[in-house]
Amino acid sequence: MPPVAVVRAEAASKRWGSTLALDGASFEIGKGITGLLGANGAGKTTLLGLVLGMHRPDGGKIEVLGQDPWTFGPQVRAAIGYSPEHDCLPPDVSAHDVVRHVAEIHGLPAREAQTRASDALYEVGLGEERMRPTGTMSTGQRQRVKLASAIAHDPAIVLLDEPTNGLDPVQREHMLHLIRHIGHDLGLDIVLSSHLLDEVERVSDGVVILDAGHVVRSGRLDELRATDTAELLVEVDRPGGEPGAGEQLAGALVAAGVAARPAGVDGRVVVALEGDVVYDLVRDTVDDLSLVLRRLERRRASLEDVYLSSSAPAEWSP
Amino acid sequence: MSDARILDTGYRRYTGPRLGPRHAVRSVVASTLRRILGLRRPARNKILPVLTIVFSYVPSIVFVGVVALLSRFDSQEVESLVPKYEDYYGFIISAIVLFVTFVAPEALCPDRRYRVLSLYLASPLTRMTYLLGKATAIFAVIAMVTVGPVLLLLLGLSLQGFGPDGFLGFMGTLGRVVGAGLMLAAFYTALTVGVASLTDRRAIAAAATLLLLIGSNIVANTLHFGLDAPDEWMLLSLTLAPFQLLRRIYGAPDFEFSMATSTVILANVAWIAFGAAIAVVRYRRLQVTR
Repeated sequence: MPPVAVVRAEAASKRWGSTLALDGASFEIGKGITGLLGANGAGKTTLLGLVLGMHRPDGGKIEVLGQDPWTFGPQVRAAIGYSPEHDCLPPDVSAHDVVRHVAEIHGLPAREAQTRASDALYEVGLGEERMRPTGTMSTGQRQRVKLASAIAHDPAIVLLDEPTNGLDPVQREHMLHLIRHIGHDLGLDIVLSSHLLDEVERVSDGVVILDAGHVVRSGRLDELRATDTAELLVEVDRPGGEPGAGEQLAGALVAAGVAARPAGVDGRVVVALEGDVVYDLVRDTVDDLSLVLRRLERRRASLEDVYLSSSAPAEWSP
Repeated sequence: MSDARILDTGYRRYTGPRLGPRHAVRSVVASTLRRILGLRRPARNKILPVLTIVFSYVPSIVFVGVVALLSRFDSQEVESLVPKYEDYYGFIISAIVLFVTFVAPEALCPDRRYRVLSLYLASPLTRMTYLLGKATAIFAVIAMVTVGPVLLLLLGLSLQGFGPDGFLGFMGTLGRVVGAGLMLAAFYTALTVGVASLTDRRAIAAAATLLLLIGSNIVANTLHFGLDAPDEWMLLSLTLAPFQLLRRIYGAPDFEFSMATSTVILANVAWIAFGAAIAVVRYRRLQVTR
């Protein structure tokens, strides 16, 4: 059976005045966690607005769970949980009341909404704090209340717009852990909009990369990263375990006329793969330096490689 | 062996019924009613609504009590002490105005100020169904002070034998009490929703509503009494126009102004349409996310 597309766009465009926010975007978002990656102003929030049926595309079409969100807005939105980028919680209302009300307006009967609001708040770690007014909570807690309100009604898709905005490193780590947990353990399909590359790479199964309203790459992350680079990743060690093996090997390879550089982690070297002879050269150099060869493989692309090669092609073209 | 069990109370998938947009609107109505009345909120949020409601019912309770105490004396004397139903509003006009200035801003402004509207519009609600839910709640709350006290007066007097004559007389008066009260509620709901849709600050919306009520009265009086404009110009007054219609619903004579009933109806419909149109246009154009 072919994989089911949760969201599908075909040449979707949206213009705000003279600004073309989305320019012929075509992509598919499948099951699991999908990162919507792009710089600020790339069109991520506009795209989420189109997915929610809040805006009508000027051109092309968007399907969410097989339906046009503009035409079938209420039905589509009933199946979506949304956590906006900005603060959206009434400060004088308790977290539980906010989440319960959001669950109710998404179609849950009052009693179910009551129970599930508590469950969702426990799930995001706010069980003990759930009766506190949201105005008395920290930024991290309010972000978690928004997350709870996005999942309480058990939606088919959860849209999270910059969910780590304003969080310190510890809170950010916790939020990413929660997103992974919700996507992988609870089985909800998530679209994570973010301008932070490492965040998307750490939690996502797939990615849609936006640049100035264009979709420059999209697909499963493992497939995008499976593209081998024209580089070797070599990991070496000294017999005694002393540091500096990587720098020593890189220096020797450069002296032998091959482009090489330390890879940031001690003992690792990235070597330009200019023909198969480089494998032999690396092997011989390691032997000459009396180093221990731990790893020798084609370097796989990181999301950063994919992103940079997609959004700034001029710098990478020969 | 103990019957105690450890239940998994964590998050789980939901397989029960999912109710549609109507349920969402009902939920908005219920939540807005709670907000306006200060329920599930700190005590300070309950003071104004509770006091206003109490003030609007006190005269009614007093009149019914007085009738109960004096009913054994001359019935004509007793009846002369109690105001006519259409005149009762003179006792509670301040409570109605206070309520009108406070209710819609409380219901509408915080959702825009704190951007809660983006959560509503990401649900099965649309801009118009959201507005419908809010307006329904505002209407229901205003009706508490425009229908309830006079209804209490009617029931209180009728139970003591001082109500309208016969069943048909009672039903006719009941219809007038409910109809006139709902008309007043609709008039002030449209007006105050229109004003509250223009700002996201509660205090500004409340002050603007009060200024509009007083200002329209000043303008109408200046035009009519100062510049000899025809009686119909008094329908510009937002405190007079609905009460002119109310008196006609009760069939009460008006010795002060001479206007055709159709003109009075038209003026009230126009005011309601104007207030509603402002709110609808405002919410249609409101940018929530882009």
